[in-house]
Amino acid sequence: MNLLPFVVAGLVIGSVYALSGVGVLVLYRTTGVLNFAHGAVGGMAALLVWQMVELRMQPPVAIALGVAAGAAIALLFGLVAGPFLARVDQLRKAIATLGLALALLGLMLFVWNDKARTIRLESSRISFDVAGARVNVTQLVCLGLALLVVVGTLLALRYTSTGTSMRALASDRELAAVVGTNVRLVENTAWAISGAVAGVSGILLADQTRLEPAFLTFLIIPELAAVVIGRFVSLWLTLVGGLAVGVGQSLVSAWPTVSAFSTAVPFVVATIVILVAARRRVVTVRVVRT
Amino acid sequence: MSQVFLARADVRGALVGLVLGLALALGLPALPGVGAGLSLRTLTVCAIYALAAAGVGVLYGRLGLVSIMQIGLVAVGGWVTLRIYHATHLPFEVVMVLAALVTAVVGVLVGLPALRLSGLSLAIVTLMVAGALEVLVTYAGFPNGGDGFLGRASGGTLAAIMPRPALGQSDDDFFRYVGVAVVVVLALLRWLLMVRPGRTWAAIRQGEAGAVSLGVNTVAHRLFALAVTSAVTGVAGALLAASSGILDPASFKAQQSVLLFATVLIGGVFSLLGAVIGGLLFYGLPQLLSTVGVDGNLVFVVLGLGLVQAITTTQAGIAGQLGGLWRRLRQPRPRRPREVTA
Repeated sequence: MNLLPFVVAGLVIGSVYALSGVGVLVLYRTTGVLNFAHGAVGGMAALLVWQMVELRMQPPVAIALGVAAGAAIALLFGLVAGPFLARVDQLRKAIATLGLALALLGLMLFVWNDKARTIRLESSRISFDVAGARVNVTQLVCLGLALLVVVGTLLALRYTSTGTSMRALASDRELAAVVGTNVRLVENTAWAISGAVAGVSGILLADQTRLEPAFLTFLIIPELAAVVIGRFVSLWLTLVGGLAVGVGQSLVSAWPTVSAFSTAVPFVVATIVILVAARRRVVTVRVVRT
Repeated sequence: MSQVFLARADVRGALVGLVLGLALALGLPALPGVGAGLSLRTLTVCAIYALAAAGVGVLYGRLGLVSIMQIGLVAVGGWVTLRIYHATHLPFEVVMVLAALVTAVVGVLVGLPALRLSGLSLAIVTLMVAGALEVLVTYAGFPNGGDGFLGRASGGTLAAIMPRPALGQSDDDFFRYVGVAVVVVLALLRWLLMVRPGRTWAAIRQGEAGAVSLGVNTVAHRLFALAVTSAVTGVAGALLAASSGILDPASFKAQQSVLLFATVLIGGVFSLLGAVIGGLLFYGLPQLLSTVGVDGNLVFVVLGLGLVQAITTTQAGIAGQLGGLWRRLRQPRPRRPREVTA
């Protein structure tokens, strides 16, 4: 059996998982919020693009508006819920985004129901052969964009002032506020950026897989697996993790006997990583700050 | 000694809850307007989901553990029930206990690796399990008397269904049967929370370092809690399987697990009343809305936003607010001393 097409498809999907995971990771490091609604924001953006294209809008404009909508949804949530979330622990922050995911999923199902739709980007129509596997331009865009975003995020965090503020917030939020970082501004920037990343990856995933509200919402699962492999800190390992999960899923789905279990791959991979990573559970005593 | 025991506020609350629960379970079908078919069946399923909700509530409220896979575990309980029944034809009560045990084992196996890390990893891992279980259940289907390990009858053979338990053949009797089973399981859970394991869980929730310094094996106690709540969820799955004799994979989607978690937090995680409210919101509210003619998907929007609100402002949920109201009604504010007028 020629496995190359499966590897190519897996790499492409995996690179979008990684791209999306970078958005989750940046937001998590900056605000402490692990965003379970990342997939739902992407799904919303993709459905909006589909709707606007149906209404005869130019696809590039529709895509730009879809990405902007993703950023706007995330920013709105950050603006409204952010101040409340700053006061609760990490677990509760994450759970609150579960509520956002549920609300967005309900809205998508209400407006567009759960019929399977397809979204075909113009770039998917141009394709060529690479060693027996068919590759289209969208897939190249996915791979390139993931690399670009990882490198760009690394550079931005290193050299721009916003990036420096984000790193300051990641290491100590209170201390960053004391030395004059505009915490709210930086957090809102992180929300908007991660929302835009979610929008881009949602549209790409909708093109590569299928445009279905619940499916896109729960693509947060492989994306989280990528972040877990990156140990919640490393952008490069998140990229590697996303690619590994994507290729793993794709290869499992290549064999008919086990193909039904391909969605369990993120769970297995993440569990193994958690088992390996957790040598000893450390109990910490927190100093109460008032 | 028993006088002192009965005077404790939590014991009295539990006893009042027990009596009220039994009265509701036995008396509700006789009420006019409720007894008619559809609404009673809805209430039966609500009561069953109250058990799953209680599992979520105890894990989050008493131990601070987030488990987003409970509907998946309900499916596991239902699958095991149907599988064991079609293989052995044992009485339903025996099958139910076996299903609870198997579900407990599954819950522990899933939670074991994640518990060694932070609470956030358990949330992540259980969400992944919810997604994986949805696909597995859709792939495997539910046993209906066929051959092979999966027990699926296909082609010409007729699908067999599991009959209801002997004590609950009619809709009325089955509601009473489910009601009593739910009340008994909730009472056992309440008892567990009042004795040593419950107090140890409370100690862990208060502060892990403190609990460790007292010699508490935190991982073992968390696993025990996972086992207990998974068993309770398994009972819910068994009862659900018994209510119609056959289960549909479409009702065990991953978003249902998230929805259940939301309803429990809105209902209230610190008391079992919250679990009952959660069960009503989870299954009763969508049914009610669709009777009125509102799209059931809007429930997701309302409950999702309710979850955000519950997390950020009202930790104790609806049950906590009801409790606060009750206390204020019981003890009116001390009157201001009347001013002496000349």
